[in-house]
Parts: sequence; C-alpha cells; structure tokens
Amino acid sequence: MLSVENLRVVYQEVISVLQGVSLKVPDGEITVLLGANGAGKTTLLRTIFGLLPVYDGKIIEGNVFLDGVSLNRFHSSVIVKKYRITYILEERPVFWYLTVDQNLKAAAFSRPNREISGEIARVLKIFPKLGSLMNTKAGFLSGGEQQMLTIGMALMTKPKILLLDEPSLGLAPLIGRELFGIIRNLNRDGLTIFLVEQNAHAALSVAARGYVIEGGRIVLDGTAQELIHNKDVREFYLGVAGGDQQRFRDAKRYKRRKRWL
Amino acid sequence: MMDFLQFFCSGLLNGLVYALLGLGLVLIFRASEAFNFAVGEFLVVGAFLFYFFYFNWGLPLLIALPLGLGAAGVFGGIVERSVIKPLMGRPHLSMTIITLGLSNILAGGLQATVGSNPYNFSVSLPDLTLDLGPLIFPSTNVWAGILSLAFFTMILLFLYKTRWGLVIQATSESQPKALCFGINAQSVLLLVWAIAAACIGASGIVISNLGALSSQISVVGLRAIPVVLIGGLDSIAGALVGGLIVGIAESLTGAYLEPAGLIGFKEVVPYFVLLIALFIRPYGLLGRVRIERV
Repeated sequence: MLSVENLRVVYQEVISVLQGVSLKVPDGEITVLLGANGAGKTTLLRTIFGLLPVYDGKIIEGNVFLDGVSLNRFHSSVIVKKYRITYILEERPVFWYLTVDQNLKAAAFSRPNREISGEIARVLKIFPKLGSLMNTKAGFLSGGEQQMLTIGMALMTKPKILLLDEPSLGLAPLIGRELFGIIRNLNRDGLTIFLVEQNAHAALSVAARGYVIEGGRIVLDGTAQELIHNKDVREFYLGVAGGDQQRFRDAKRYKRRKRWL
Repeated sequence: MMDFLQFFCSGLLNGLVYALLGLGLVLIFRASEAFNFAVGEFLVVGAFLFYFFYFNWGLPLLIALPLGLGAAGVFGGIVERSVIKPLMGRPHLSMTIITLGLSNILAGGLQATVGSNPYNFSVSLPDLTLDLGPLIFPSTNVWAGILSLAFFTMILLFLYKTRWGLVIQATSESQPKALCFGINAQSVLLLVWAIAAACIGASGIVISNLGALSSQISVVGLRAIPVVLIGGLDSIAGALVGGLIVGIAESLTGAYLEPAGLIGFKEVVPYFVLLIALFIRPYGLLGRVRIERV
C-alpha cells in the first residue's frame, strides 16, 4: 500500500504547496484525487515519484511510504525499477520524434532486453490500434492515440502502481469515456491506480475511494459513493447546483468557513 | 576543370573532418541544449591524450587510439559532472556561458602543462596517396577523410541501432518525459558528453595528423560554429552537410578567390555561407523548426 503521511512540500524554499497531506492508496484499487488548479495535485505526484529536486522542490516534513518503506530519498529511476511505480505526466509523455515502436522500446529501459518483445505483444493486445501505427512518428498521432501510447509505454515498465495525471485532459468526451473503460480494465487485471482528475464525474464512477485537495490540504475523503453524494462535491466538482451560494465570492466565503481554504 | 575537381575533392575530405567536429557539438546541443564553446580545447585535450599514449608510451596504434578516445571520453564525463550537472534545471543559456569560462580555464591549463610549442605528430599509417593522373590527394588527407567517416558512422550506428542510442534520442527530446519511464537522465547526459568529447577528440587527432599538434590548433574549433549553424544545431545530418559545405567553400576560396587579391578570405568564407544559409532557413538547413508555446 502506498501511503502519504503529513507531507509538507515547498518550492524554492519559499512557496509552500503541500501543507500536511495524508492519504492512502490501497493495493488493487483505484483511488482518485480531486482538486482545482493549483491545489497541489501534480506536486503530490511529483513528490511520490521522486521528481521534486528537478523542479527545485523539497520535502520539509512527512513521508511517502510504500509498504512501510520510505521513498523520500529515491531518484525516479529507482522508484520505477525497484518499487514499480510509474508516473504519467499531464502532457502526454510520448517522444514526438520517435516512432511508436521506438517509444515503446525506450519506455522499457528499466526492463531486461529479452522481455521487451513479449511486453510489446502484451501492450498491443490491450491496444490493437497501435499495431498498425508502429512505424508512425508519435508526433503525428491523434490525441487519443497518443494517450493509448502513453499508457502502453507506462505498461512497458511493468508497474504495480500507476500514477495518472489528468489522463482525460484535452480528449473528446467519447474517447475520454473509452479511456476510463481501459483504466477500469487495467485495474481489474490487478494494477493499483492513483488517478488525479478534474473530470470528477468520470473519475468517481471508476474509483473506489476519493480525496479532495484544496490549497495544499486534504479537505474531504471517503468512498467514491460517499463523495458523489456529498453536497459540497456535488456543487464544486460535479456542477450540480443546490447550494445557496450563487456567486464566486460567496462560494469562496463558504469554503473558507468550512476551513477548506 | 581538373583543377576545380581537385580543389572540390580536397575540400570534401576536409569537410568530413569538420563534420565529425560538428557532430560532437550537435550531440551535446541535443541533449543539454547548450552550445559547447570549449570545443577547441576539447579538441586539443583529446589530441594530447592520444599523443601521450601513442608517442610517449609508444603503444601500437590499435591500442593507443581506443585508449586515447576513451580517455577523452572520461575527460568529457568529468566536465559534465563538475561543470554542467550542477546547472541542471537552470536556464540553458547559463550552461552555454559556463562553457565559455571553461574554454578559458582549459586554454590556461594547456598553456601551463604543454606550452604553445608545436609537437611533431605523424602517425605511421600505410601510404594511401591517391594519384589519379591530374588529381593527387596526399595520404594524410585521404586518411583524414576515411577516419572521420569511420568515426561518424560508428557514432551513428550507436545512436540508431542500439538500445542506449534510443534512450539518448528520447532523453535529448525531453528529460521530464524520460524520467517518467525510469530513464536515468543524468547518466544519459554523462554518456552523451563522453561520446561527444571522444568525437571531438577524434577530430583533434585527425587534424593534428594533417600538420602538427600544438595548443594553437584550438582555433580550428571555432570552425565548428559555422558548421553546426549552417546544418542546424540539432541535426546530425546537418553536421555532415554543414561540414562538407564549409570544407568545400574553404578549399574553393583558397584556390580561386585568394589569388585574386582577397588574402585571408578563406578564414571568413564559412561565415559568409552561414549568413546566406541563415537568411534562407533561420534554424539551419536541416534544423528542426522550434515551436514554442508561451
């Protein structure tokens, strides 16, 4: 189980982004993290994945644990290779100037040479569409195809836990729905998924548990069902009107009173 | 007509050497997005390392050459670790500027250790003088072309046919993306600098073999600037094209324009070609057009 305990993170020694975040990602489940822009979602993923030093960030308190082992000090290459966690960036991390085939092979860097062709066959079984595009440069693929390739590349690293940063960003709704179907299938095959999303409706429909992050703190957590029926989540994330506050300023005041901000 | 062919082909042979030099710069630029202004000093250091193994220790060529290039690679790696890596995550311009400083420090170091006297540098290679009636190519020039082409091809094979080469291409495109898949971007950068230093060192050896070795030949490194800018800073094929263009332009200018009174124009002509090339294609003839979003 991946767990984050009382994590505080600052960028450039001054910008405080996470202010004591704690959450748990149980094995074999889809856990979703909801939050507005700038709430600290991406920073949390970077921290788990050991990318903070690249962005001049620092953990000043707290820990990221995987089955009781602290991951704080590890470089991302160790986290991928030894702890089998893979992170998919918000911008689809395909290499534009390489072909689909080369992309898959490059992503399999942490795997031994002899396993690569078997892994590619496995990925192509999940995404048959990529098979006909093997010699196309990834920069020429459509957004949906790039997202398939991204997930395929992540699978090449043979992860146990997949950190997904807004996979539905910039995709047509229909393709987004297909994507969430794929995510659910991957989870059914045993992959633990930590999903960061703005598309709360789709995310909560596949997830088992969820957390809401605001201003660098977890303000709400519960099972997906609880969150879907929560009055505040319905209003702020699902866009179902029902509260009394109609204006942005009122909403902000309301959130502050509830100690969300 | 025969004269023209003679000068054209001599230029072609020289151009291959420039291409190898340019390749070293292109590799570094693609991976670190920094222009290595210390290229001239890299060239001299590489040549002296080989000199040390071949002439001082008297090792056979087939052992001294890999040893010398390996030592040049280690030198490039040390430079990356000590100078470039601490600047990771900073603006790319700062890396370029620091290579300017590095160039001065290395030049001073070379002055202090090996001085500025020329060293006799003639590698004993089989005579390959090409005597085709009216066309004559001296053995050293032919060897320069052959060796440069061989090194160039070897590096291309490594880049495009091996797994590490693929990882280098991927990391050169985007370090954050590479980090996502567990590629250790720092060791890839180390490798790239080592290969590039060996590549520049190899051209240093070839250039020294055309005349003599001295710390003064670092000025040849400046010739690499028009080479890579003409071809495109991030294009490997561009380094080859740029190198050949500069080599041929120099040779033809030396033959036809200098006797007409334009003494010293040979040194300047690469920059004229560069100017024209940049007017036509601002990113170099084969460079990628950068699309940057704000």
